[in-house]
Amino acid sequence: MKYLHRQACRAFLFMAVVTPFVADGKPIAYAHGTTVMAEYGAGTMAEAQVFYAPRYNMSFGAGHLTLDSDIDERSRDITYARFNYLVRRWNLESAQGNIFAWGGLGNGQTDTGAEGSTWNAGAQGDYETRRLYASIKTDLFDSSEFSHRIDTLQLGVAPYKHEYATLATWFVVQGRQYTGGIHSGTEWALLLRLFKRGAWFEAGPTLDGKLQAMFMVNF
Amino acid sequence: MRIHMFLAASLLSAAAHAETIEMKVNGLVCGFCAQGIEKTLRRDPATADVIVSLEHRLVAVSLKEGQDIPDDVLRKQLTASGYDVKEIARTSTPIAEIRARIAGKSQ
Repeated sequence: MKYLHRQACRAFLFMAVVTPFVADGKPIAYAHGTTVMAEYGAGTMAEAQVFYAPRYNMSFGAGHLTLDSDIDERSRDITYARFNYLVRRWNLESAQGNIFAWGGLGNGQTDTGAEGSTWNAGAQGDYETRRLYASIKTDLFDSSEFSHRIDTLQLGVAPYKHEYATLATWFVVQGRQYTGGIHSGTEWALLLRLFKRGAWFEAGPTLDGKLQAMFMVNF
Repeated sequence: MRIHMFLAASLLSAAAHAETIEMKVNGLVCGFCAQGIEKTLRRDPATADVIVSLEHRLVAVSLKEGQDIPDDVLRKQLTASGYDVKEIARTSTPIAEIRARIAGKSQ
């Protein structure tokens, strides 16, 4: 088991180094597009977001994040308003790369009843071809009562090249780490991702046998 | 001089009869992300139909009778969708023929 863990760590590090910009769903759809996203993260997190993009390179909206520790009893409920910005996009002949950054303000509550204002900042880098996909994302929520950062890496492979109007199928490995006592170690999940037109769904088990799922629509 | 006038008239005539605009677009790798292209182009009153092909890095727009979309507007529309246009070509090829051509090559 230790050997397998070491191999997984090596693969993780290798891909993080070799893949220049590694993503999950993008926080900006397209000019005048709206994105609605909901995620259930293996019992440790659940998040819902709605964003509207007035331009292709920015969006704003709101979200709600719930964190439930699988180490102790702590939990967080954070409601926020957020601004997303596309810092850089590379439209290559057969690939696309992006760097997004965001920031926001909100309100957070803890399981002890403490409540206060929170701020949020994060960034995402992604790179994809029609067969390979990679993204790395960091999301920080901070207040006087708590500080949590969620780091997520996704690496995906498509068994075939989808076309614009056909169903896309991806197999994605996700690694996620939490700070602030929500989860210890890396939470690994193997996901099946399907999307067609403006609807995106992905789901799969974590190594602990819990459900990791995400649904997103653009319109 | 006459040759120049003839060439200019021919080009104007071809543009006037263009019913389809074919654009080579970079970054077309994800159908979910590229739907903004179709939505943006369909909002243009001159657009009759739109084809997006990831395989061919192609976006084709068929125009309504007697209407046109200038190149700079097309570039702006694709930029607003988050993509870069590399080439724009105007043809009289019916969009159904382009669709068939793409389907044939994709198989």
